[in-house]
Amino acid sequence: MPRIHLGNWAEDAVNWLTDHLSWLFDFISSVVNGMYDGVEWVLGGPSPLLMAGILALLAFWMRGLPAGVVAFVGFALIDSLAQWDQAMQSLSLVVVSGAAAIVLAVPLGIWAARRDTAALVIRPVLDVMQTLPAFVYLIPAIIFFSLGTVPAVIATIVFAAPVGVRMTELGIRQVDPELVEAADAFGTPPLGTLLRVQLPLALPTIMAGVNQVIMLALSMVVIGGMVGAAGLGATVFGAISQVDIGLGFEGGVSVVVLAIYLDRITGALGDHVSPLGRRALARRGSAAGGMRVLRYRPRPAVGVCGVTVLALVACCMGVFAGNGNGSAPHVSAAANVGKGQSVRIGSFNWDESIASSYLWQEVLEQRGYKPAVSTYDPGAAFTGLATGSLDYLTDAWLPTTHASYLKQYGKDYTDLGAWYDRTSLEVAVPSYVKGVRTMADLKGRSAEFGGKIIGIEPGAGEMKLLRSTVLPGYGLDKDYQVVSSSTASMLAELKRDYAQKKPVAVVLWSPHWAYSTYDLTKLADPQGLWGPGDSVHDLANKASGAKLSQVSAWMRTFHMTEAQLGSLEATIQGAGQGNAAQGVRKWIGQNPGIVDKMAPINGG
Amino acid sequence: MSKLVIEQVFKVFGRKPKEGVRRLQGGAQRQELREGGTTAAVIDASFTVEPGEIFVVMGLSGSGKSTLLRMLNGLLEPTSGRVLFDGRDLTALSSKALRDMRSRQISMVFQHFALFPHRNVLENAAYGLEVQGRPREEREQRATEALALVGLAGWERSWPDELSGGMQQRVGLARALATEADVLLMDESFSALDPLIRRDMQDQLLELQQRLHKTIVFITHDLNEAMHLGDRIAVMRDGRIAQVGTAADILVAPADDYVASFVQDVDRSRVLTAGSIMAEPVTVTPACGPDVAMRALDTDDDAHAAFVVGPGGEPVGTVTEEQVSEALHGHHDGGHTMADLMATDLVTTGADTTLAGLLTPASRTTLPLAVVDETGRLTGVISTGALLAALGDPSGPAAAPDCGDSGATAKEVASA
Repeated sequence: MPRIHLGNWAEDAVNWLTDHLSWLFDFISSVVNGMYDGVEWVLGGPSPLLMAGILALLAFWMRGLPAGVVAFVGFALIDSLAQWDQAMQSLSLVVVSGAAAIVLAVPLGIWAARRDTAALVIRPVLDVMQTLPAFVYLIPAIIFFSLGTVPAVIATIVFAAPVGVRMTELGIRQVDPELVEAADAFGTPPLGTLLRVQLPLALPTIMAGVNQVIMLALSMVVIGGMVGAAGLGATVFGAISQVDIGLGFEGGVSVVVLAIYLDRITGALGDHVSPLGRRALARRGSAAGGMRVLRYRPRPAVGVCGVTVLALVACCMGVFAGNGNGSAPHVSAAANVGKGQSVRIGSFNWDESIASSYLWQEVLEQRGYKPAVSTYDPGAAFTGLATGSLDYLTDAWLPTTHASYLKQYGKDYTDLGAWYDRTSLEVAVPSYVKGVRTMADLKGRSAEFGGKIIGIEPGAGEMKLLRSTVLPGYGLDKDYQVVSSSTASMLAELKRDYAQKKPVAVVLWSPHWAYSTYDLTKLADPQGLWGPGDSVHDLANKASGAKLSQVSAWMRTFHMTEAQLGSLEATIQGAGQGNAAQGVRKWIGQNPGIVDKMAPINGG
Repeated sequence: MSKLVIEQVFKVFGRKPKEGVRRLQGGAQRQELREGGTTAAVIDASFTVEPGEIFVVMGLSGSGKSTLLRMLNGLLEPTSGRVLFDGRDLTALSSKALRDMRSRQISMVFQHFALFPHRNVLENAAYGLEVQGRPREEREQRATEALALVGLAGWERSWPDELSGGMQQRVGLARALATEADVLLMDESFSALDPLIRRDMQDQLLELQQRLHKTIVFITHDLNEAMHLGDRIAVMRDGRIAQVGTAADILVAPADDYVASFVQDVDRSRVLTAGSIMAEPVTVTPACGPDVAMRALDTDDDAHAAFVVGPGGEPVGTVTEEQVSEALHGHHDGGHTMADLMATDLVTTGADTTLAGLLTPASRTTLPLAVVDETGRLTGVISTGALLAALGDPSGPAAAPDCGDSGATAKEVASA
């Protein structure tokens, strides 16, 4: 069969689009960002309990007293899990992308329902949208729209809109043809048939579609977290990549509360907007006796008034309570090198990445810069650095692990040199497994390990190296199977087996916090098959690196020893999840002079 | 002028419909086209619908009657042929003009009612007016009136699913009447109702029709319904119109074996009327003698009695062949006039009376029944033998005329 270079064409298409339609992407980007910021300002502005009150009142209005009470309790729970800001960010993301998806989906669905040829064209497109793995278009989306909210919104729309289109089409096609004919027989023009007969009768199905669009949008917030969208997704993504079960659970519970709330509210909305739903509601209300209070719902006017009054209160409080959090650290005039320039540092959920990026954030802040660290999936971070939505990445493993990104985007980066030497790749076993110190020792003990070495993501360079070179080199390829999973799953497996003191062999690398958490043995590699190892480099976006020349100069001279990095990581771990900055501050306090060493001031 | 004129209308579905029409015109059969993937729904239909009449199109399912109906208001466009509404050719109208016509001049009542479930009864009845763009007050008033007309006053605020089938169809009827269209198309409108309700609705439709004088085209597969409602009936078979005529025409003179087999189970006594089976009477004046009466009776072999009529043509008595012959040959005095001979216990009936209604009067007399018009003038005569023959098998010698006759009947109707 001839090789069809579909991938190359896709790449060419992406390049062409980046070159020629950047104005369009910038426009979409600013529109989406504007919408998101607006919604987020409204939802995240008021104090949590007030906002919870507003949301609960909405539930009360739509579904009655019990729903209102449960909604309030749910949102209060989110607040007490310290996930309020993230929850409101996620809610904003869902509102913006859900609204956009519905605005796109409903007209498309109507079109598809009325024109068979349109349906013929639209359906395969929907299939692609629904089934194409999110990451396939997420990376191009980052190239087009840069990191953060916009690619998350785009991905969410792509994922959620098809259901809206399908349900709209289905709803309209399901309307009894005799009714459509009746409308026709009375001389109704096509638009009138749509508005008077088809849409009102299709509305229950369309609203079920809207409900599903919102739910699917919510299910995408975790994916959104991987490309830098703020919110519960970032919490959950961060938690799973560090096997922080507690935080993951808290984030997960918050997502569930949001999901149930959105599901019930949009479901009730369906009952309220469709004439048939209103009738069913009224009938149910009049049929049942019993507890009046539980079924009481405010009339629309009362409901709107209540929500408005609370919203106004929220606004006023927002105005008076604002401007209270601008406590920037005091920076002496001599040290104020940055003069408020912003520095965007990308990080992944790798320990040394968090440690180094937050360390730089603290140092640069003391030098008068406005640094911001945000966390991404590695692919997203490297793409973001190339497109200029990030200025620095502090955790590029070169020349091996991240070589592919350098090959792809190398011309857009400035390599600021290695700050940590030297990383290593290895297979590790718990030290309670006696008599296994080198790779060669694994020979003949496969039964003990269940014949398995627990691996990480199948695409990782380390996995390929292990399979193709290291295992055959030590004659282990017959005895051991490398299980592909994910870093998080590998660490979870390690944690489980370690707790039960079971023998386990995992694919690991140094530096890694697992070595400080568990007592592990790095299996020696006498034949040197793992290769010489990487160094950890600082990378700058080419333009930013030149613009922020002082920062780049500091990064060029930056270096850390394994002991330093280990103690920094440990301090950060000790400070607890989400408190990386505090941990760094504490560590700086324990290491006086480190700031001046990292960022010396000329003549200071 | 005829309200609707249907001229050589064809409707062919599938690929290359025009070519299908050409083949049909060239003598191809429906079955041959079906093998090629094209369906001929209506083949060469021609008839007219007169103002104020109920015109019933009757046929089994698949005979093309619903398709035919939908070409009358432009929901479907004929593949070939013309449909004239008040002299305007529908096929030449723009779709906007066609919609306008449907909203103001032709209404439709559907088999499964087709009420809008998201509108209450009043809003349903007002739908056509809403499409016309009438102000709310007017349309509510007229819809209320239309509902009252069909006997649903007080149900305005109910919802369609709260009504029984018969009531729902009354709403459908009110919706069609509210637009004040003068043509109603009714597509098997009573077929989904149970028999008792159906009969009720038929009677109510006839009653309404007496007041409103709409032009109604009614589709049904139920022959009894067709006979009951139809001023004229078109029988359709396999897309073709087999016969057009009054109920009596179709019963008495079926155009072909298909129509004949169709009508054989009909309760003829409730369909045929005195007018449709009466014969020319032999009449004499009270003053004439037996010789004159004998000559008159001799001109008609079937007549065994003559009617004695007064100066206004009203029957006053009957004389039998035997009485006349006795008076002529038995006594030779020649002094008796018909006034002396005649029996005066006459039984008269109207031309509209069904045969079932004739049975009781016929049992009270041995003499033929006299059929009179509104002014009391004698218009025809029904002998007991003719009555029994008409109630019997239509293929029997008494009632079955030859084919030439029925062909003429269909032609007369078509050209009327």
